[in-house]
Amino acid sequence: MKKINQVAEFGKKLMALSDMEQIIELIGQEAKELCNADRCSIFIVDKEDNMLWTRLSDGIGRIVISIDSGIVGDTYQKKQPQMVNKPYDDARFLPNIDKKSGYTTKNILTVPIFDSKREVIGVIQLLNKFRDDFNQEDLETLTFFSNYVSGSIELVLLNDKNKS
Amino acid sequence: MKYETTYSKLADFGKELLSKTSLEEGLPMIAKYAKGVIGADRCSIFINDPKKNELWTTLADGIEKIVIPSDKGIVGYTIKARKPIIANDAYSNPNFLSDIDKQTGYVTENIVTAPVFNSKRDIIGVLQLLNKEDGFDNEDVKFMIFFAHYISGFLELVNLYKADEKK
Repeated sequence: MKKINQVAEFGKKLMALSDMEQIIELIGQEAKELCNADRCSIFIVDKEDNMLWTRLSDGIGRIVISIDSGIVGDTYQKKQPQMVNKPYDDARFLPNIDKKSGYTTKNILTVPIFDSKREVIGVIQLLNKFRDDFNQEDLETLTFFSNYVSGSIELVLLNDKNKS
Repeated sequence: MKYETTYSKLADFGKELLSKTSLEEGLPMIAKYAKGVIGADRCSIFINDPKKNELWTTLADGIEKIVIPSDKGIVGYTIKARKPIIANDAYSNPNFLSDIDKQTGYVTENIVTAPVFNSKRDIIGVLQLLNKEDGFDNEDVKFMIFFAHYISGFLELVNLYKADEKK
Protein backbone atom coordinates (compact mmCIF):
# COMPACT_ATOMS: atom_id res chain seq x y z
CA MET A 1 0.00 0.00 0.00
CA LYS A 2 2.83 2.34 0.85
CA LYS A 3 4.22 2.22 -2.68
CA ILE A 4 0.83 2.85 -4.26
CA ASN A 5 0.24 5.92 -2.11
CA GLN A 6 3.74 7.07 -2.86
CA VAL A 7 3.16 6.85 -6.61
CA ALA A 8 -0.16 8.69 -6.32
CA GLU A 9 1.54 11.52 -4.45
CA PHE A 10 4.31 11.54 -7.02
CA GLY A 11 1.70 11.71 -9.84
CA LYS A 12 0.28 14.91 -8.44
CA LYS A 13 3.71 16.49 -8.21
CA LEU A 14 4.61 15.34 -11.72
CA MET A 15 1.55 16.96 -13.22
CA ALA A 16 2.37 20.29 -11.65
CA LEU A 17 5.51 20.49 -13.80
CA SER A 18 5.69 21.42 -17.43
CA ASP A 19 9.41 21.69 -17.95
CA MET A 20 11.10 18.60 -19.41
CA GLU A 21 14.20 18.85 -17.27
CA GLN A 22 12.18 19.11 -14.06
CA ILE A 23 9.87 16.28 -15.08
CA ILE A 24 12.76 13.98 -15.87
CA GLU A 25 14.50 14.86 -12.63
CA LEU A 26 11.40 14.11 -10.56
CA ILE A 27 10.85 10.80 -12.39
CA GLY A 28 14.46 9.79 -11.75
CA GLN A 29 14.20 10.67 -8.09
CA GLU A 30 11.02 8.67 -7.65
CA ALA A 31 12.37 5.63 -9.56
CA LYS A 32 15.38 5.54 -7.24
CA GLU A 33 13.22 5.72 -4.14
CA LEU A 34 10.81 3.04 -5.32
CA CYS A 35 13.61 0.52 -5.85
CA ASN A 36 16.20 1.78 -3.35
CA ALA A 37 18.80 2.44 -6.00
CA ASP A 38 21.74 4.77 -5.81
CA ARG A 39 21.52 6.31 -9.26
CA CYS A 40 19.08 6.76 -12.08
CA SER A 41 19.62 7.75 -15.69
CA ILE A 42 16.86 8.34 -18.18
CA PHE A 43 17.84 7.82 -21.80
CA ILE A 44 15.76 9.29 -24.61
CA VAL A 45 15.82 7.71 -28.05
CA ASP A 46 17.05 9.83 -30.93
CA LYS A 47 15.96 7.94 -34.01
CA GLU A 48 17.43 10.34 -36.52
CA ASP A 49 20.93 9.86 -35.23
CA ASN A 50 20.42 6.33 -33.87
CA MET A 51 21.55 7.41 -30.45
CA LEU A 52 20.38 7.19 -26.90
CA TRP A 53 21.23 10.17 -24.79
CA THR A 54 20.59 10.99 -21.19
CA ARG A 55 18.16 13.68 -20.20
CA LEU A 56 19.04 12.79 -16.66
CA SER A 57 22.40 11.46 -15.65
CA ASP A 58 22.74 11.47 -11.96
CA GLY A 59 26.12 12.67 -10.80
CA ILE A 60 27.90 12.59 -14.13
CA GLY A 61 27.72 14.57 -17.34
CA ARG A 62 25.56 13.80 -20.30
CA ILE A 63 25.98 10.32 -21.75
CA VAL A 64 25.40 9.54 -25.40
CA ILE A 65 25.53 5.96 -26.61
CA SER A 66 24.75 4.30 -29.87
CA ILE A 67 21.28 2.79 -30.02
CA ASP A 68 22.56 -0.79 -30.01
CA SER A 69 25.28 -0.61 -27.41
CA GLY A 70 25.34 -1.47 -23.75
CA ILE A 71 22.60 -2.89 -21.60
CA VAL A 72 20.51 0.22 -22.28
CA GLY A 73 20.86 -0.31 -26.04
CA ASP A 74 19.85 -3.94 -25.60
CA THR A 75 16.78 -2.84 -23.63
CA TYR A 76 15.83 -0.68 -26.60
CA GLN A 77 16.44 -3.46 -29.15
CA LYS A 78 14.67 -6.21 -27.20
CA LYS A 79 11.91 -3.94 -25.87
CA GLN A 80 12.29 -5.81 -22.58
CA PRO A 81 13.54 -4.94 -19.09
CA GLN A 82 17.05 -6.13 -18.26
CA MET A 83 18.22 -7.06 -14.79
CA VAL A 84 21.97 -7.48 -14.53
CA ASN A 85 23.33 -8.18 -11.09
CA LYS A 86 26.89 -8.86 -12.23
CA PRO A 87 27.53 -6.26 -14.91
CA TYR A 88 31.28 -6.91 -15.15
CA ASP A 89 30.49 -10.48 -16.20
CA ASP A 90 28.05 -9.28 -18.85
CA ALA A 91 29.43 -8.84 -22.36
CA ARG A 92 26.96 -6.05 -23.10
CA PHE A 93 28.12 -3.87 -20.20
CA LEU A 94 30.17 -0.78 -21.11
CA PRO A 95 32.88 -0.48 -18.43
CA ASN A 96 34.28 2.65 -20.10
CA ILE A 97 31.54 4.79 -18.59
CA ASP A 98 32.60 3.65 -15.10
CA LYS A 99 36.23 4.34 -16.00
CA LYS A 100 35.41 7.86 -17.09
CA SER A 101 33.18 8.69 -14.15
CA GLY A 102 35.05 6.82 -11.43
CA TYR A 103 31.79 5.23 -10.34
CA THR A 104 31.63 1.46 -9.78
CA THR A 105 28.50 -0.16 -11.15
CA LYS A 106 27.51 -3.19 -9.09
CA ASN A 107 24.13 -3.96 -10.52
CA ILE A 108 21.75 -2.57 -13.14
CA LEU A 109 18.04 -2.59 -13.78
CA THR A 110 16.62 -1.13 -16.99
CA VAL A 111 13.10 -0.85 -18.41
CA PRO A 112 11.92 0.52 -21.75
CA ILE A 113 9.56 3.50 -21.88
CA PHE A 114 6.90 2.93 -24.54
CA ASP A 115 4.81 5.57 -26.25
CA SER A 116 1.17 5.08 -27.24
CA LYS A 117 2.24 3.49 -30.55
CA ARG A 118 4.24 0.91 -28.63
CA GLU A 119 7.54 2.34 -29.80
CA VAL A 120 10.37 2.63 -27.32
CA ILE A 121 10.99 6.34 -26.68
CA GLY A 122 13.38 5.93 -23.80
CA VAL A 123 14.96 3.73 -21.17
CA ILE A 124 15.00 4.12 -17.39
CA GLN A 125 18.20 2.77 -15.88
CA LEU A 126 18.81 2.23 -12.17
CA LEU A 127 22.25 1.51 -10.77
CA ASN A 128 23.40 -0.02 -7.49
CA LYS A 129 20.59 -1.10 -5.26
CA PHE A 130 21.47 -0.38 -1.64
CA ARG A 131 22.96 -3.39 0.16
CA ASP A 132 21.35 -5.85 -2.22
CA ASP A 133 20.79 -7.04 -5.78
CA PHE A 134 17.79 -6.05 -7.88
CA ASN A 135 14.97 -8.58 -7.73
CA GLN A 136 11.77 -9.49 -9.54
CA GLU A 137 9.71 -7.11 -7.42
CA ASP A 138 11.94 -4.19 -8.40
CA LEU A 139 11.52 -5.19 -12.03
CA GLU A 140 7.74 -5.25 -11.73
CA THR A 141 7.65 -1.97 -9.84
CA LEU A 142 9.83 -0.23 -12.39
CA THR A 143 7.81 -1.69 -15.30
CA PHE A 144 4.63 -0.31 -13.75
CA PHE A 145 6.33 2.99 -13.04
CA SER A 146 7.66 3.32 -16.58
CA ASN A 147 4.15 2.91 -17.96
CA TYR A 148 2.79 5.33 -15.39
CA VAL A 149 5.14 8.11 -16.49
CA SER A 150 5.25 7.25 -20.19
CA GLY A 151 2.19 9.34 -21.07
CA SER A 152 3.77 12.43 -19.53
CA ILE A 153 7.08 11.85 -21.29
CA GLU A 154 5.35 11.27 -24.62
CA LEU A 155 3.34 14.46 -24.13
CA VAL A 156 6.39 16.55 -23.33
CA LEU A 157 8.33 15.20 -26.31
CA LEU A 158 5.35 15.80 -28.57
CA ASN A 159 4.91 19.38 -27.39
CA ASP A 160 8.65 20.00 -27.81
CA LYS A 161 8.38 18.76 -31.38
CA ASN A 162 5.34 20.91 -32.12
CA LYS A 163 7.13 23.98 -30.78
CA SER A 164 10.17 23.56 -32.99
CA MET B 1 -2.52 19.09 -36.84
CA LYS B 2 -6.07 19.08 -35.53
CA TYR B 3 -5.23 18.25 -31.92
CA GLU B 4 -2.11 20.39 -31.52
CA THR B 5 -3.57 22.84 -28.98
CA THR B 6 -5.17 19.93 -27.15
CA TYR B 7 -1.79 18.33 -26.60
CA SER B 8 -0.36 21.56 -25.29
CA LYS B 9 -3.13 21.79 -22.69
CA LEU B 10 -3.47 18.11 -21.83
CA ALA B 11 -1.20 18.35 -18.80
CA ASP B 12 -3.84 20.51 -17.10
CA PHE B 13 -6.31 17.69 -17.46
CA GLY B 14 -3.70 15.20 -16.23
CA LYS B 15 -3.12 17.33 -13.17
CA GLU B 16 -6.77 17.23 -12.23
CA LEU B 17 -7.11 13.52 -13.02
CA LEU B 18 -4.18 12.51 -10.86
CA SER B 19 -5.73 14.26 -7.87
CA LYS B 20 -8.44 11.57 -7.94
CA THR B 21 -7.92 8.23 -6.30
CA SER B 22 -10.97 6.25 -7.35
CA LEU B 23 -12.61 5.07 -10.56
CA GLU B 24 -15.87 6.67 -9.46
CA GLU B 25 -14.23 10.08 -9.51
CA GLY B 26 -11.81 9.51 -12.35
CA LEU B 27 -14.03 7.86 -14.95
CA PRO B 28 -16.54 10.73 -15.32
CA MET B 29 -13.64 13.15 -15.70
CA ILE B 30 -12.01 11.06 -18.43
CA ALA B 31 -15.32 10.60 -20.22
CA LYS B 32 -16.23 14.27 -20.11
CA TYR B 33 -12.82 15.31 -21.36
CA ALA B 34 -12.64 12.81 -24.23
CA LYS B 35 -16.15 13.67 -25.33
CA GLY B 36 -15.45 17.40 -25.32
CA VAL B 37 -12.14 17.21 -27.14
CA ILE B 38 -13.27 14.85 -29.86
CA GLY B 39 -16.73 16.34 -30.16
CA ALA B 40 -18.77 13.19 -29.57
CA ASP B 41 -22.16 12.95 -27.94
CA ARG B 42 -21.32 10.23 -25.42
CA CYS B 43 -18.33 8.53 -23.89
CA SER B 44 -18.07 5.37 -21.83
CA ILE B 45 -15.03 3.77 -20.30
CA PHE B 46 -15.48 0.05 -19.99
CA ILE B 47 -13.44 -1.69 -17.33
CA ASN B 48 -12.30 -5.22 -18.15
CA ASP B 49 -12.95 -7.84 -15.50
CA PRO B 50 -11.07 -10.87 -16.84
CA LYS B 51 -12.15 -13.10 -13.93
CA LYS B 52 -15.81 -12.68 -14.79
CA ASN B 53 -15.21 -12.24 -18.53
CA GLU B 54 -17.20 -9.06 -18.29
CA LEU B 55 -16.84 -5.44 -19.19
CA TRP B 56 -18.61 -2.93 -17.03
CA THR B 57 -18.94 0.79 -16.97
CA THR B 58 -20.01 2.94 -14.05
CA LEU B 59 -21.23 5.67 -16.27
CA ALA B 60 -22.44 6.02 -19.75
CA ASP B 61 -23.58 9.60 -19.58
CA GLY B 62 -27.01 9.16 -18.18
CA ILE B 63 -27.38 5.47 -18.83
CA GLU B 64 -27.17 3.24 -15.76
CA LYS B 65 -24.43 0.70 -15.21
CA ILE B 66 -23.90 -1.50 -18.22
CA VAL B 67 -22.33 -4.95 -18.02
CA ILE B 68 -21.53 -6.86 -21.18
CA PRO B 69 -19.72 -10.14 -21.82
CA SER B 70 -16.14 -9.30 -22.73
CA ASP B 71 -16.43 -10.90 -26.17
CA LYS B 72 -19.55 -9.03 -27.22
CA GLY B 73 -20.13 -5.89 -29.16
CA ILE B 74 -17.66 -3.53 -30.75
CA VAL B 75 -16.10 -3.02 -27.32
CA GLY B 76 -15.57 -6.79 -26.97
CA TYR B 77 -14.18 -6.91 -30.48
CA THR B 78 -11.71 -4.16 -29.52
CA ILE B 79 -10.32 -6.49 -26.85
CA LYS B 80 -10.02 -9.33 -29.30
CA ALA B 81 -8.41 -7.22 -32.00
CA ARG B 82 -6.29 -5.32 -29.43
CA LYS B 83 -6.61 -2.15 -31.51
CA PRO B 84 -8.97 0.78 -32.03
CA ILE B 85 -12.13 0.21 -34.03
CA ILE B 86 -14.05 2.81 -36.06
CA ALA B 87 -17.61 2.03 -37.07
CA ASN B 88 -19.11 5.01 -38.83
CA ASP B 89 -22.28 3.08 -39.63
CA ALA B 90 -22.86 1.20 -36.38
CA TYR B 91 -25.90 -0.79 -37.51
CA SER B 92 -24.08 -2.27 -40.48
CA ASN B 93 -21.22 -3.50 -38.28
CA PRO B 94 -21.68 -7.23 -37.50
CA ASN B 95 -20.21 -6.78 -34.01
CA PHE B 96 -22.58 -4.00 -33.00
CA LEU B 97 -25.00 -4.85 -30.14
CA SER B 98 -28.26 -3.09 -30.93
CA ASP B 99 -29.82 -4.45 -27.70
CA ILE B 100 -28.34 -1.63 -25.63
CA ASP B 101 -29.90 0.98 -27.91
CA LYS B 102 -33.22 -0.85 -27.55
CA GLN B 103 -32.92 -0.81 -23.76
CA THR B 104 -31.98 2.83 -23.52
CA GLY B 105 -33.80 4.35 -26.43
CA TYR B 106 -30.58 5.97 -27.62
CA VAL B 107 -29.74 5.66 -31.30
CA THR B 108 -26.08 4.93 -31.97
CA GLU B 109 -24.95 6.19 -35.32
CA ASN B 110 -21.19 5.91 -35.15
CA ILE B 111 -18.64 4.52 -32.71
CA VAL B 112 -14.94 4.72 -32.09
CA THR B 113 -13.11 2.64 -29.48
CA ALA B 114 -9.56 2.31 -28.20
CA PRO B 115 -8.12 -0.33 -25.84
CA VAL B 116 -6.40 0.78 -22.63
CA PHE B 117 -3.32 -1.33 -21.82
CA ASN B 118 -1.58 -1.69 -18.46
CA SER B 119 2.17 -2.02 -17.98
CA LYS B 120 1.96 -5.79 -18.54
CA ARG B 121 0.23 -5.18 -21.84
CA ASP B 122 -3.08 -6.62 -20.62
CA ILE B 123 -6.17 -4.73 -21.71
CA ILE B 124 -7.68 -3.18 -18.60
CA GLY B 125 -10.37 -1.17 -20.30
CA VAL B 126 -11.84 0.22 -23.48
CA LEU B 127 -12.65 3.84 -24.28
CA GLN B 128 -15.75 4.24 -26.37
CA LEU B 129 -17.15 7.36 -27.98
CA LEU B 130 -20.54 7.55 -29.64
CA ASN B 131 -22.12 9.81 -32.24
CA LYS B 132 -19.92 12.43 -33.71
CA GLU B 133 -21.51 14.56 -36.38
CA ASP B 134 -20.06 13.51 -39.75
CA GLY B 135 -18.42 10.45 -38.14
CA PHE B 136 -14.97 9.75 -36.71
CA ASP B 137 -11.73 10.07 -38.69
CA ASN B 138 -8.14 8.89 -38.38
CA GLU B 139 -7.05 12.00 -36.49
CA ASP B 140 -9.67 11.19 -33.85
CA VAL B 141 -8.34 7.64 -33.61
CA LYS B 142 -4.77 8.86 -33.26
CA PHE B 143 -5.81 11.09 -30.42
CA MET B 144 -7.76 8.25 -28.80
CA ILE B 145 -4.66 6.01 -28.90
CA PHE B 146 -2.57 8.71 -27.32
CA PHE B 147 -5.23 9.54 -24.74
CA ALA B 148 -5.86 5.88 -23.82
CA HIS B 149 -2.15 5.50 -23.15
CA TYR B 150 -2.04 8.77 -21.23
CA ILE B 151 -4.75 7.72 -18.79
CA SER B 152 -3.63 4.07 -18.56
CA GLY B 153 -1.22 4.79 -15.70
CA PHE B 154 -4.05 6.31 -13.69
CA LEU B 155 -6.39 3.37 -14.34
CA GLU B 156 -3.69 0.82 -13.50
CA LEU B 157 -2.81 2.62 -10.27
CA VAL B 158 -6.46 2.83 -9.22
CA ASN B 159 -6.86 -0.88 -9.97
CA LEU B 160 -3.87 -1.58 -7.74
CA TYR B 161 -5.55 0.43 -4.97
CA LYS B 162 -8.69 -1.66 -5.31
CA ALA B 163 -6.77 -4.95 -5.35
CA ASP B 164 -4.91 -3.82 -2.27
CA GLU B 165 -8.09 -2.89 -0.38
CA LYS B 166 -9.47 -6.38 -0.90
CA LYS B 167 -6.45 -7.97 0.77
